[in-house]
Amino acid sequence: MADKALSFSLADFFFNDSPDVLTPPSDFQSWFEHPKIRSAMGLFGQQLLAAPRAGTEVLSSLDGKRHKVINMTSYNYLGLSTHPEVIQAAKEALDLYGLGASGAPLLSGTFDLHVEFARRLAQFKEKEDCLLFSSGLGGNVGAIQGLLRKGDIFVLDEKCHKSLIDGGTLSGAKMLFFSHNDPASLEQMLEKCKGKRVLVAFEGVYSMDGDLARLPEIMKVCAHYKAATYIDEAHSTLMFGRNGRGVAEHFGLEHEIGMSFGTLSKSFGGVGGFVCSNARIIAYLKGYSSPWNFSCAPSPPVVAGMMKALEVATRDSTLRDALWKNVAYLKKGLLDLKLDLGRSESQVIPIIIGSSGEKLIQFAYEIQRRGLFLQPVDFPAVPADARRFRISVSSQFTQEQMDTALTIIEDVIAKGLRA
Amino acid sequence: MTKEAVIEVIKKNIAANSDDIDAAGIDPQKSMKDYGANSLDMIEVVSTSMRELKIKVPRSELTDLNNIDQLADKFLEYVNKGNG
Ligand SMILES: Cc1ncc(COP(=O)(O)O)c(C=O)c1O
Repeated sequence: MADKALSFSLADFFFNDSPDVLTPPSDFQSWFEHPKIRSAMGLFGQQLLAAPRAGTEVLSSLDGKRHKVINMTSYNYLGLSTHPEVIQAAKEALDLYGLGASGAPLLSGTFDLHVEFARRLAQFKEKEDCLLFSSGLGGNVGAIQGLLRKGDIFVLDEKCHKSLIDGGTLSGAKMLFFSHNDPASLEQMLEKCKGKRVLVAFEGVYSMDGDLARLPEIMKVCAHYKAATYIDEAHSTLMFGRNGRGVAEHFGLEHEIGMSFGTLSKSFGGVGGFVCSNARIIAYLKGYSSPWNFSCAPSPPVVAGMMKALEVATRDSTLRDALWKNVAYLKKGLLDLKLDLGRSESQVIPIIIGSSGEKLIQFAYEIQRRGLFLQPVDFPAVPADARRFRISVSSQFTQEQMDTALTIIEDVIAKGLRA
Repeated sequence: MTKEAVIEVIKKNIAANSDDIDAAGIDPQKSMKDYGANSLDMIEVVSTSMRELKIKVPRSELTDLNNIDQLADKFLEYVNKGNG
């Protein structure tokens, strides 16, 4: 297997045949220690030494030294993680409330801050109520696992995030995947669900491709089959729609959506997750959603920071406008280089390089050596013939940073692909 | 080992992973998706089959196969190589 190391991936070691549970599969160890795999893995988990701004500093695994880099990997889409008003609000809350909530929400973990932030989020999403979670992943897992039971059917777009799949697995519901963004395939699945309780899940912006849900068509099929709907707006909240409420607002369909999920780790620049829906189901979920019920409430200073982030991002469209201006500029520059950007329609811009895992890693090292922190996304996270880099555009990018990045991308990726 | 034997292993594992499919009724010209398998089911079937056949085919080589017959060809290639 040694000479074929690069054709293997984490997808090949999921099942473990070793008799001792605390020992990984025997071939995993030799794969993991192969020099090429070690080198590839070295790209991941590199340490940031400063805030995830557009310009930051990393402890590079290339040479073990500190390097100033242009950061096009962080999800800090609107720059809110370091916005002065956000930092100030978090600092004040830190003084007042301390670091942690020190309790589960039902017993002692609910602070006035949590109640107020949930109220504002519900109002923002134009739903009756909201449930706040300590992580985005926990929010999806908790909502799905709290809503569905054995005997129910969970229908998902095949590109949905792992947190939705894990929630489905935990719930015991049967899971059916429809072809990505394909209303006809969704219809076929729903045809099989007649007489059952059904929930259909999709995302506003898909995280690996940056394309949008074909919401009008998908919602029409769901309405025809009277299936409940769940949208994950992790990569679209605060950015899409006239008021920044997300892709559902963008399509004018937010009131038709049954439950709306968002994360606080991306555009909000903090950490946590939330779901908004009718007040009765939110009250019910509190009884059955384990990541809410059996886990400490979100850290108060982070909640205070997020509440300020919501205010800053929605009081006018300055940050959104800056983001979309940067998206347009970068996209044009990348298209001029004749790069394959898939079907991106958002601030998530993949640069698809094809099936060679070796090229992907080689390009990644070269890019990072030149000072651009842009991480590769490899199989099995994306299809084996569509390995890629993924740019997360930020409103904070300057013209100069984007021009420098485009030059590096041209020299390494565009020229490398032609070579 | 014959291709028929490989197909039997795959069919048996598809049936074992589903409540309402009978191994005898599975047509190798169809894909597992046609029998209602989702991507998680497919990983399970492929893994249990490879374990039984004592082979290890990289998942990245299986992504553009269209049906059970092609999966069996791929498995057979590795069985004949004696790849462990
Ligand atoms: C679509 C989608 N949903 C949910 C999550 C989970 O969010 P978090 O990273 O905030 O836990 C992510 C990000 O990882 C995501 O991309």
